[in-house]
Amino acid sequence: MSQDRYSRQQNFAPIGFSGQQKLKDSHVLIVGAGALGSGTAETLARAGVGTITIIDRDYVEWSNLQRQSLYTEQDAFKQLPKAVAAASRLKQINSEITINAHVMDCNAADLVSLLERHSIDLILDGTDHFAIRYLINDAAYRFQIPWIYGACSGSYGAVCSFIPGQTTCLHCLLKKMPAVSASCDLEGIIAPSVQMVAAMQSAEALKWLSGNRTQMNVNYTVFDLWSNMHQSIGLNRRARQEACPTCGGQPSYPYLNSESAVKAETLCGRASVWLRYPRQEALNLDAVADHAKQLQAVVKSNPYLIQIQEGDFRLVLFQDGRALVHGTSDPLEAKRIYQRYVS
Amino acid sequence: MSPKGRTICQEGDSVRILCFAHLGEQIGSPTLELELGPMTVAAFVEEFRSRYPYARLDQVMIAVNEQFVEEDHLIEAKDTVALLPPVSGG
Repeated sequence: MSQDRYSRQQNFAPIGFSGQQKLKDSHVLIVGAGALGSGTAETLARAGVGTITIIDRDYVEWSNLQRQSLYTEQDAFKQLPKAVAAASRLKQINSEITINAHVMDCNAADLVSLLERHSIDLILDGTDHFAIRYLINDAAYRFQIPWIYGACSGSYGAVCSFIPGQTTCLHCLLKKMPAVSASCDLEGIIAPSVQMVAAMQSAEALKWLSGNRTQMNVNYTVFDLWSNMHQSIGLNRRARQEACPTCGGQPSYPYLNSESAVKAETLCGRASVWLRYPRQEALNLDAVADHAKQLQAVVKSNPYLIQIQEGDFRLVLFQDGRALVHGTSDPLEAKRIYQRYVS
Repeated sequence: MSPKGRTICQEGDSVRILCFAHLGEQIGSPTLELELGPMTVAAFVEEFRSRYPYARLDQVMIAVNEQFVEEDHLIEAKDTVALLPPVSGG
């Protein structure tokens, strides 16, 4: 490969040759390969970050293409899992780096197992709801790995770095998990908001990984591209509470240790329900597809998932037994549909 | 700054309020200039609720002069108060 590949980045004095070498030796975990995950993964792959691990539970849909920059019409047509489609695109962009892709839900056990098995240098937030961010926050502080919160909705976005040993945590910023928050499904989203947040997250990642750690932005940065407002807000880091269950003196990591008993999750603003029935063995998708066809349902499949269309409902089943039921926001109805096809 | 804002500012005792995300839409403008006496953040929230009862303030984060502050922090004339709804999309 060309020696020239990273020349422009190496010519940027704060990175230089040694910073580039550090990027090559780094391992970043990106949780969520939606809009933000697409943006940060592409930037870091192009920058030559040596290993990128991506987790995502979802598959590519047409409504993603407007802002999720790694995906194409082909991916939406094939309903490829985002982690799979992302890995394939990132390998085209940079064949010299290692991409690990996981199609999974990212619960506490998954996250702990991943962080125990790999030496992760940084976690980037590409998620779309608060529950998983409190989980990432706990995991990051337990394993002493910095993580970079990023979120956007409409023309509004926010970024904040959480660095164990140096800054307070998400818990200290928002003591109670927000029950209501701005999200893309309800309020819509324009791609520039995504690109702005992803750009700020990526810049923080480049600083941290290339050894420019004193340059980290420890403020809560927030903008609105439509009303032309921007704020860089100082967190009173001294206000860190000794009692914080995540970054305090005697942490209990509540979100990491209370394994969610939630087996069904209604997606905010969408008539869709996630179902989780943990399985010992992979689900035999071919057998389920055959059974569904006998029941006169319309079945589409790829190697990773099958989709069963039944009237207004659409059931998408993954190999690990997870399912997404579109067309209802009622968990009980979703379960009935699921059980019709999966024993 | 709008001409109107400038006029009020000349009086020198207004508080500038930045309403991010849905709050700007609910109030009809992303920025406001309100003439308020010195008051705590908690009192400010009550005042804001009574003036704009339809604005959703649940768990909105409040920064004064680009610093997160506690509920007993005193807001004074010429301060900038940012109202920041939590954001989760991505």
